[in-house]
Amino acid sequence: MKYFREYTVTTDPFLPEIVSGLLWDLETNGIVEEANFLRVYANDDNSVTKQLLEQKLGKLLEQKMISAFSVTEHTFEDKNWNEEWEKQINVIEVSDKIVIKPTFREYKQKEGQIVITIDPKMSFGTGEHETTRIVLQLLEKYVKPEIRVLDVGCGTGVLAIASTLLGAEFALGIDNDEWCYENALENIELNSCHDKAEFRLAEVHQIEEKNFNLVLANIQKNVLLEISEELNNHLLSGGYLILSGLLVDDEKDIAAKYCGFGLTLVEKIQLHEWIGLVFHKK
Amino acid sequence: MAKKITGYVKLQIPAGKANPSPPVGPALGQKGVNIMEFCKQFNAKTADKDGLIIPVVITVFSDKSFTFITKTPPAAVLLKKAAKFEKGSAEPNRNKVAKVTSAQVKEIATMKMPDLNAFDVEHAMSMIAGTARSMGFTVEG
Repeated sequence: MKYFREYTVTTDPFLPEIVSGLLWDLETNGIVEEANFLRVYANDDNSVTKQLLEQKLGKLLEQKMISAFSVTEHTFEDKNWNEEWEKQINVIEVSDKIVIKPTFREYKQKEGQIVITIDPKMSFGTGEHETTRIVLQLLEKYVKPEIRVLDVGCGTGVLAIASTLLGAEFALGIDNDEWCYENALENIELNSCHDKAEFRLAEVHQIEEKNFNLVLANIQKNVLLEISEELNNHLLSGGYLILSGLLVDDEKDIAAKYCGFGLTLVEKIQLHEWIGLVFHKK
Repeated sequence: MAKKITGYVKLQIPAGKANPSPPVGPALGQKGVNIMEFCKQFNAKTADKDGLIIPVVITVFSDKSFTFITKTPPAAVLLKKAAKFEKGSAEPNRNKVAKVTSAQVKEIATMKMPDLNAFDVEHAMSMIAGTARSMGFTVEG
């Protein structure tokens, strides 16, 4: 389990803009600005300490920008911070065919429907977000029997699980986040698809298999640009690549990058400000 | 009818790198906001500001929905960018590690006026110059 340190920083006068800016000189995870103090967060990977914070604040004191300061520290364990929201998730009818529900909600399945059970634990992919719905709608069209699917940044595992329930021979979901990996394993069991779906705690460059007919990645523009070559390398000729987590304005840069590998942009779906792009590999 | 606002959360996180760990997790989780949704939106909307620290103010409504606005990076971050410098000095009084011009200080002060609680631009400039000196930067011109 991961641990975090929280430093409560007060200064007189309270100058959040000035003080927080200086504290970013140190390695921190982020800062919360409260009404009259700052909370500074760090995990085991960060070198920030109470002493270093006090040194920084001492410099503001020397400059006479503040007349006093204090720093207190406490350590706490990481946990599922999204638990409160997760209690209120509802059933989501993504399309006429696909429905997503948590275990604690009832849903009367209609003929021909696929009902996916997802209990998220601080993982992305509940069907609430536009990008998940976009990719699920595209999966209905692009998943064929006997294809192999790779889902990069799988979150709850909803896309890989949906692929197998739609008829894919095999789906591999990967994520570099431990919460997501553990959660995806739980969701495989909830959907009884452990014989066709597999999840790994990994980055895409660590995946040796390069025999996927369909590659999915619902992440964000910069990451999709950074791992573009890897995504293309894992896709078989004749296969399709579905990208989302993208805003409308991201299309140009993403299309230029992936078309540069010889892929062809064959379809785009837009839902509000979000888009999903489908590329074909000859 | 307009939705009732239940609170505001002010965070500073690196552009494109929001994740559900602290500070985002505890700050938004206790208000019942969908943290993953916030991270997705924030990361997508700040992807082009990679490398910068982005202050963000999140408005939380009674139905647990939210909106957010991003602000300009903290003054110290802008000073480092202006001076083309990565890190402030460990001994700012002795080791001056970089320099900024007073024109750059004025530009940053003007940009940051709404966030500084300053009386006027001159007051804001003195705060920005003080920040620069506390980082070991020389202010010239």
